[in-house]
Amino acid sequence: MTRRFIRSSAMTALAVALVWFLPAGVVAQGGQTQARAGNEPAAPTPRTSDGHPDLTGLWVRGGGGSNVNAPDPNAAITVLTKGRPCAPGQGECAPGVNFERDSGIQQRMTSNIPMYKPEFWEKVQYLDHNGNAEDPTFSCLPAGVPRMGAPAQIFQKGNQLAFLYQQQNTFRIVRFGPHDPINSVDQTPLGDSVAHWEGDTLVIDTVGFSDDTWLGWPGWFHSNNMHVIERMTRQGNTLTWQATVEDPDVLLKPWTMDARTLRLNTDSNAFLVPDLPCSERDLEHMVTKERG
Amino acid sequence: MRHRLYGSLLVIAMLVALVAPAFAHHALQAEYDTTKRGGFTGTLTKFALINPHVRWYFDVKSPDGSITKWEVTGAGAGPLRQSGMSRIFKVGDTYKVTYAPARDGSHLGRVVDFTFADGRVVTLFHEDPNNPNDN
Repeated sequence: MTRRFIRSSAMTALAVALVWFLPAGVVAQGGQTQARAGNEPAAPTPRTSDGHPDLTGLWVRGGGGSNVNAPDPNAAITVLTKGRPCAPGQGECAPGVNFERDSGIQQRMTSNIPMYKPEFWEKVQYLDHNGNAEDPTFSCLPAGVPRMGAPAQIFQKGNQLAFLYQQQNTFRIVRFGPHDPINSVDQTPLGDSVAHWEGDTLVIDTVGFSDDTWLGWPGWFHSNNMHVIERMTRQGNTLTWQATVEDPDVLLKPWTMDARTLRLNTDSNAFLVPDLPCSERDLEHMVTKERG
Repeated sequence: MRHRLYGSLLVIAMLVALVAPAFAHHALQAEYDTTKRGGFTGTLTKFALINPHVRWYFDVKSPDGSITKWEVTGAGAGPLRQSGMSRIFKVGDTYKVTYAPARDGSHLGRVVDFTFADGRVVTLFHEDPNNPNDN
């Protein structure tokens, strides 16, 4: 009993140690513990009555899924926690590595960087250097389009699509048709989104942005004259999302973000769990500018 | 059943591990001295399941009877909630807490582990104080 209890405690601690790394707002999808990410390449692409692909579904980031179906709890946990402190019963542990410092380096090491006009690089560097205070997501403000990435769930019906994002319980309504004359000039983090089909690719055109969101972690700001074009293509149970940013006020040329691939969660019991509230309480205690 | 639990926890960990760090977050070392450890035994007064980090609030009684307020932080709320951690802490219970202290000297720490009254230990810290890469 004691041994079982210790093992149980250790496993719980290990699992928590794993999630310790996670930044706020990681997509959390209910039912993913039983998730079956659709990985059959030959799955047909469902279509609506008008013949266009139906993007409806709960979409899992990462493109993985093969390990999700049949994990080996004991062996895999040992591997996954190798760099963490030993818990009772865990056995030999290797020294940890610093996730947040690695993350900070990783996020600056990308070669896909928006090309700002020369007069704006000092501002980018200032924002990057002071990201703990300047990054709007650190203050629980919206990431906005396109930084918040691809939706976690899509409902497509008639001339509208509803995009659900787990982070901060955000939703977007994308319409087929012209921009709304009011919403498109309101200047908001999500803007006004309309869509059309180019073959089997859904092209989403968004304008009407505020300038208080960022494009990315390294101080990549934008103006309220930004125009975002997102392209979404479903092939079977795979969804590809990519966004291009046009911002002639601050960028030398349009910037296309790295494409992201999502896989359909085929578990009919899976659901998107609402996000929890956000309250920034760290900044007043920060004594350095390091961030991850 | 237990294997199912382990499997669930593992799946959560694997799924989140697949997610690229798309969102910014605070660096641990900017706020806490991860080379040091502190500890107290206190009564949990509030468990706040909030982003970007969950927070536990404690009343710590001194020998003279005075009460000191303490606060420790942990991981993101969503992952902790999914792993079941949100349901094991009870306001009013007593916990022994080990933490990495805030660099600014306030009664704040990043939790290392909780020892429950029944002897359970839940470790929530991954940094190794003996590894220079961690500090």
